[in-house]
Amino acid sequence: MIPGDFQPQKPTGTQLAKLGVLGVVLLGVFIGIVLVLTFVISSWLGRPVIFGHDGPEQPIEFPHETHVKELGMDCTFCHRNVEKEAAASVPALGLCMTCHSAVGDELEGITKMRSLYEDGRSIHWVRVHRVPDHVHFVHEAHIRYFSEKEGVEAKAVCATCHGEVAGMDKVRQNRALKMGDCVNCHKQNNAPTDCVTCHY
Amino acid sequence: MVDSNKWGMVVDVDRCTGCQGCVVACQSENNIPINLEEHFNQRRAIQWIRIERYWEGEYPDVKARFIPIMCQHCGNAPCEPVCPVYATYHNNEGLNVQVYNRCIGTRFCANGCPYHVRFFNFWEPEWPESLKNQLNPDVTVRSRGIMEKCSFCVQRIQRSTRESERDNEVLEDGDRGLNPACVNACASNALIFGNFNDPDSTVSKMKEDAMQEGGRGYRLMENLGTDTNVIYLKKVDGSVEVTHGY
Repeated sequence: MIPGDFQPQKPTGTQLAKLGVLGVVLLGVFIGIVLVLTFVISSWLGRPVIFGHDGPEQPIEFPHETHVKELGMDCTFCHRNVEKEAAASVPALGLCMTCHSAVGDELEGITKMRSLYEDGRSIHWVRVHRVPDHVHFVHEAHIRYFSEKEGVEAKAVCATCHGEVAGMDKVRQNRALKMGDCVNCHKQNNAPTDCVTCHY
Repeated sequence: MVDSNKWGMVVDVDRCTGCQGCVVACQSENNIPINLEEHFNQRRAIQWIRIERYWEGEYPDVKARFIPIMCQHCGNAPCEPVCPVYATYHNNEGLNVQVYNRCIGTRFCANGCPYHVRFFNFWEPEWPESLKNQLNPDVTVRSRGIMEKCSFCVQRIQRSTRESERDNEVLEDGDRGLNPACVNACASNALIFGNFNDPDSTVSKMKEDAMQEGGRGYRLMENLGTDTNVIYLKKVDGSVEVTHGY
């Protein structure tokens, strides 16, 4: 051995323990950053990137599959204002009760709904679709334009933005509904892109 | 039917009684926060339309004169070029539009406006619990830190345009659904709203009549060359000169 040569010291037990703790902490920080980034990107896109593709939990399960696919009901049967007004509207319980005063005795949700109806209360559905702030979206105008353009009924237009709701277990947002999304579509269809068309 | 619209207003000062009906109507239509006394004292009250009061003559022969002032929707607007983020611009319907999402609250526009009709939200707007449900869902509630001003009730213009398209009808001149809230509220018809591009509209006829030689029409601060879309018709009894006012 040459005198003065560099001799790596063997790490002692405490040093090893310290390094181990540091490694675990750094790993934790790294995972934290990744989670935060996922959250930020998800909220920016308006939909989950990795997990949670399902829509929010609703107070009462409403299977669109049963109502639309199996029974063949129109979207416009329940969302009655969609061809007339800005909001598509969720129906009052009275409309549900036209069938469900007789149908669905064995279901827990129906029992809950009936008791709410008798008390004169309503179901507080959790909102699924939300456009950004300061935006006014009008269902009527969009439904009218697309059904005239493609010569189809109103119910065939809904899927353009909402996706195949009939196939969703829990209704979830299908498109980003960000401004870029809206403006692209407006440009493709020669719709006005003046700010005040939506922002007022 | 005309290709493009140019919205504008005619204000007949001779008919204005200063009742403040338009102010109240505007306040409730456009979700304008409640102006408290302290806000007025700080000169920070928000009134998209206001009635200015002037006293004419000397006691005991005193007359009160009123003039409603709202955003003039200038064709050559001093507020527009100063905005660094294009939050205010002129659209192709003659409206001076304020885009709330873009506004960063520099307040340059309010300083540029000679009519003092742009207002800054110095506070987060608040309503008492009992008034929460009276907010108009068609109008954004502006948050703290952005400018706002009269929009000629653009939500009503959009709605009636859409509804006339839906029903294949022509947008009617003087339709109550199209008129801004102040115009509908005016008891003496001092405010008339319409389309200046349509030669048959009431406002076009009034403008033509009033702006000819010897007519009653004038624009506020016409010498600034702002080319406003609001035409004022002066008081018929113009013999007394304005001495002071605020």
